[in-house]
Amino acid sequence: MIKRTFLTNLIIYLCSALLVIFILSPLYLVAVTSLQLEKDIRSPNLNLIPQYLDFRHYIAIFRPDHIVPVLPAMRNSLIVSTLAALISVLIATPAAYALNRMYFPKSKVILRILISIYILPTLLFIIPLYIAWVNLGLFDTYIGLLILYTTFMLPFTVWVLGSFVKSIPIEIEEAAKIDGATTTQLLTKIMIPLLRPGLFACLIFGFVLSWVEFATPLIFTSEIKMITVSLGLYRSTVDIQIGQLAAAAAIITLPVILITLILQKQIQQVILTGADR
Amino acid sequence: MPDPRLHILGLQKEKRTAWFFVLPALMLVVCVYAYPIITTLVYSVTSIDIATYTIKEFVGFRNFQYIILNEFFSPTLMRTIYFGMMVVVMTILLAIGVSLLINIDFKGNKILRILILLPWAVPPVVSGVMWSQMFQYEYGFVNKIIKIFGGEGDTIWLGSPRLALHVLIITEIWRWLPFATLFIYAALQTIPRSVIEAAALDGAGYLKTVKGVILPIIFPGIIPVAIFLFVSAMKAFDTIFVLTAGGPRSGTTTLNYLVYLQGFQQFKFGRAAASAYILTALILFVIFVMFLLTRIASQRREMND
Repeated sequence: MIKRTFLTNLIIYLCSALLVIFILSPLYLVAVTSLQLEKDIRSPNLNLIPQYLDFRHYIAIFRPDHIVPVLPAMRNSLIVSTLAALISVLIATPAAYALNRMYFPKSKVILRILISIYILPTLLFIIPLYIAWVNLGLFDTYIGLLILYTTFMLPFTVWVLGSFVKSIPIEIEEAAKIDGATTTQLLTKIMIPLLRPGLFACLIFGFVLSWVEFATPLIFTSEIKMITVSLGLYRSTVDIQIGQLAAAAAIITLPVILITLILQKQIQQVILTGADR
Repeated sequence: MPDPRLHILGLQKEKRTAWFFVLPALMLVVCVYAYPIITTLVYSVTSIDIATYTIKEFVGFRNFQYIILNEFFSPTLMRTIYFGMMVVVMTILLAIGVSLLINIDFKGNKILRILILLPWAVPPVVSGVMWSQMFQYEYGFVNKIIKIFGGEGDTIWLGSPRLALHVLIITEIWRWLPFATLFIYAALQTIPRSVIEAAALDGAGYLKTVKGVILPIIFPGIIPVAIFLFVSAMKAFDTIFVLTAGGPRSGTTTLNYLVYLQGFQQFKFGRAAASAYILTALILFVIFVMFLLTRIASQRREMND
């Protein structure tokens, strides 16, 4: 350990402070704004430390006659995000196993194509999908959103689960094979239990990705009863109640922030294995 | 190591099971990616009747011609490239700084490592709302703080095309900093502490160690991050939509946002499809150039060694 001078320490803490300010200031601003009365939000004075906490904006946004139905939006987002994460893991697990461990011609090429989908702009797919969704009656439906959410994260999930599959020693499978296990048994009885941490991490990651999704519900839904949290927040920017907007922003961000703080290990793991090419 | 799959009889059966395992994923990918990619290509050379959503007529390259010859095109292209480059360069520089910082042992660096992840979890719509409140000219933090330090503090940040573009760049940097930092920090940790300490013992200052030892080692790890950041910037949509809606005076309209405007505001699907392909070409071109640059850089280094 190298001894540090006072000056070095000062620089370290100064840099840390600047970084914390950059990261936290917008979050802090919204939190404070959501707890202040409208007249204080618009006052020209800076009050970094609020003199009082007022929860009226939170009460206002949960009222049923509010411009954006916050509770239904949260219910929609919860349903679609949970299902999308589950389905994508359900579909990605056998695919990741087959492409990484089984005899499958051109599996490397398929994996590479899957991951390079990411570099294409989403709007390259959206127009034909929009037309198809309208024609198939999938517009403004849960199923329509689910298919899109699931597929948008599928390549990534297959890729990440693939790295988890590769990290499991092949000897375990060989031993099970000698004992007469079929391929399907290998997957369900051997792989899935061993993959549990990876599956859990992908579920969490998929849930957060779906929760924050904005463009998909914007384009593929129009009815107020299908509204999701991100879209709802945008709709409430039309109103000029800054405090209520901040309260809505805080409410929809809180769940994902909590998940990230509690499960930061899993999320870091997914992000890191995801682009480890 | 003997391949456990050498039983020829079992192989055929395994292949069939493997297909069965991959099929659901493949079907979704074909329907949601492959089919639209081709259809968009067809749309780009046609005009679409928006009442029936069917192809009206084949127009050749007229959509492309219209977009490229339009007076808005070259400013939009330049703006998109400038925006992308700024996001890539600034995020990476900042992420290198943050990684070096959290790599140092000091009280509080564990908290810093967790805090740095937070923007990742914030929905992009919320980041848009937050930063627009930060830069709001009347009650935003930024102007109020400028006032405290004796400035005028009356800049209408989101009212000028140039300033608004830079507010957007800051928002995107904030959003992608966690991701870039995680990667560069991971690359940094592959360097044994002894190497850094040895350089310090040689009398090289910290900055010299960073330049001579650390940066060359983490450089290959930076390229994929740069590509990822560039692609993300090219796909930026939510933040633009909420922060500025492409304005003022198209000052924050990137190519991607233009595709959205043409497709879902003007409902010119043919034109939007052509723009989407122009954007794709731009992304592929920049990735190609980045690869080329890494190639040249690594060859140079080999020659120097």
